[in-house]
Amino acid sequence: MNTRVTRSSRFSNGALAVLALLVVVLLTAPWWAGRAELRLFGEIYLYLSLACLWNLMAGYAGLVSVGQQAYVGFGGYMLFALTIYAGIHPVAAIIAGGLLAAAISIPVATLIFRLNGAYFAIGTWVVAEVFRLSFAQVSALGGGSGSSLPVAIVKSLADSRSARESLSYYLAIGSLILVFAAIYFLLRSNRGIALTAIRDNESAAAELGVNVWRTKLEIYVVTSALTAIIGGLIFLQKLRISPEAAFSVNDWTAFVIFIVVIGGIGTLEGPIIGTIIFFLLRETLADFGTTYLMILGLVAIIVMIKAPKGLWGLISQRYDLEIFPLRYRVQQSATTEQG
Amino acid sequence: MKSNLSRRKFLGTGAALLAAPAILTHTRAYAADPVIKIGHVSPRTGPLAGFAEADDFVLKGIQAALSEGIENNGKRYSVEIISKDSQSNPNRAAEVAADLILGDEVDIIVAASTPDTTNPVADQAELNEVPCITTDCPWQPYFFGRNGNPAEGFEYTYHFFWGLEDVIANFIDLWDASGAAKNIGGLFPNDADGNAWGHPELGFPKPLADAGFTLTDPGRYQPLNDDFSNYISAFKEAGCELITGNMIPPDFATFWSQAAQQGFKPKVVTIGKALLFPSVIESLGDRGDGLTSEIWWTPSHPFSSSMTGESAKALADSYTADSGRPWTQPIGFKHALFEVVRDVVSRSADLDDPMATIDAIKSTSLSTIVGDVNWANGPIPNVTKTPLVAGQWQKSGDAFDLVVTNNKQAPQIPLGGELKLLG
Repeated sequence: MNTRVTRSSRFSNGALAVLALLVVVLLTAPWWAGRAELRLFGEIYLYLSLACLWNLMAGYAGLVSVGQQAYVGFGGYMLFALTIYAGIHPVAAIIAGGLLAAAISIPVATLIFRLNGAYFAIGTWVVAEVFRLSFAQVSALGGGSGSSLPVAIVKSLADSRSARESLSYYLAIGSLILVFAAIYFLLRSNRGIALTAIRDNESAAAELGVNVWRTKLEIYVVTSALTAIIGGLIFLQKLRISPEAAFSVNDWTAFVIFIVVIGGIGTLEGPIIGTIIFFLLRETLADFGTTYLMILGLVAIIVMIKAPKGLWGLISQRYDLEIFPLRYRVQQSATTEQG
Repeated sequence: MKSNLSRRKFLGTGAALLAAPAILTHTRAYAADPVIKIGHVSPRTGPLAGFAEADDFVLKGIQAALSEGIENNGKRYSVEIISKDSQSNPNRAAEVAADLILGDEVDIIVAASTPDTTNPVADQAELNEVPCITTDCPWQPYFFGRNGNPAEGFEYTYHFFWGLEDVIANFIDLWDASGAAKNIGGLFPNDADGNAWGHPELGFPKPLADAGFTLTDPGRYQPLNDDFSNYISAFKEAGCELITGNMIPPDFATFWSQAAQQGFKPKVVTIGKALLFPSVIESLGDRGDGLTSEIWWTPSHPFSSSMTGESAKALADSYTADSGRPWTQPIGFKHALFEVVRDVVSRSADLDDPMATIDAIKSTSLSTIVGDVNWANGPIPNVTKTPLVAGQWQKSGDAFDLVVTNNKQAPQIPLGGELKLLG
């Protein structure tokens, strides 16, 4: 009997085809969706990107950060600073913000990588607070009061309102595709195998010759840069920035952790499921104020008890499914498959 | 509050939605029951919830008063008010404002209570070209906080309240009348209000110096500070008998109890923002007696509603009867916000044209329950001012009363009592 080692399965091939179709449909959204839907979709893409990035760090590289708001806020502030004071085009400013975030993340990493586990998490939070307090001192950017993006700068994106809305939609979906593709191909590369090894057992990985520190640093820098780019896009939508809003641990980290944890940490599919659930809950319940936050907490607790690997973990364990083929599996002949 | 789920169906409604604005534009005025939609953003939950505590009461009254609709150009429009919670979070305020504008397609959007609510909402309205009216935030943080340029102004966003120059004038009058030494300590946080109040040119420092006061300003502190020892010792060293600033209630409570522990006894303590609500004063116990603050609205203000004819006193009394709680200052302003909306809607030359509504806003001249609203009189474009006085929390029996003790800046507001010095 012929056996071969492959990553894809019939399910993953089919699922990927459906997903590709869905992406094509979503790419045409500006032609069929209303303004409110476009904006909501844009927000969903940005949250999903943040969730994928956090998942890459926490789920694969074992870097459980509760301070990613540092880079969201940094990217947002760079957008404001570079457009208002350097006169750079907003899109260029957002990309430049990503590069600057990568540069600043290296010294930050050398500091906080000395910490492990829970200490690392607290360390990242402290770094985010330092960022927040530092930007609160910059009076050119409004200090603690914050600042609005001048209307002229937003209008420089495109002349008509509908063109601006389409552009900001494409920026959001484009960055999601970029983030997702970057993570997917990273995980399929040799580096991905090293990461998966680190995820499963850090000391064993080191024993096998994986340079753990260096791999983690690369992930941290890439994640920081992409998070800052997403942050720039978020605040291009919000039009207004203040230290409280930019470095909000609730908005940019707690909700993101919620998404990844209920979806399934350490899987590519998890953040997608988590984002869908989060937005379904938010769109239906957010008008109930604090009750909404209590329901979010309750959902998180129940999922963590009943499905510690998240909802996707539950599904994939039960049916042995993978939409994005990362694992190798042995296939007997062309039709039957075994895990 | 109204949920707008049906609008948020993810798929399928696209074509209808795209066509909707075009169809609405042509049919609303001829529909059997045309509707005007008003979006309202307010911090119902979170640290600013005190400002929105009377929302349900005020909105209920407005809805009853507008149950007949508003007449415009001989046609009656029914009114739908869609209220959303900002959760005291500027991110969320921007989100719900965008939801109201893009999803509910409101004709006018209104917002109230601190720059964290008014500014994100106004920014969204300005860019999405929807008329916006806001209140309950001094105009400098509103206007300059949004990078406003007085020469240009904004096109779609309008604001009514008082400004820092009014607070400063009122506080100086109050301190002059107190007889305390002109030596003053300043407590300004690093937030929107604190930076505006402490601003060397636009804030307190310059006018205080001009009026002969010596200001000790040890610098901006981060909100939710837990240690004011440095400030207290700086004030003691400088011999300050007066204290001022703009604080949130928890910071003031911390400062005030540490001042007691460290034996610092100023004669007059006049703080903006922290001392607005009776609940805060009660939480300070006996130490709340005699604190002074700016006063934007009281039941004794000699104004009445253009919508219901109720006097300020009648509105405050009906809130107390309805909720069993003492009146608060935002009640009058929230009511006035909808008075202005009703007036604008009734005068707009064409409700389907935002620019016609903007023209109606610009030509507003209305006596509301908080005073006259008329943007032609504003200090700068987009801003008009309502009267401001100063006064003191005085204990009478078990309850605290906010008494107007100085009305030099707005003599039409009656005095309620005399200023008493602190212990």
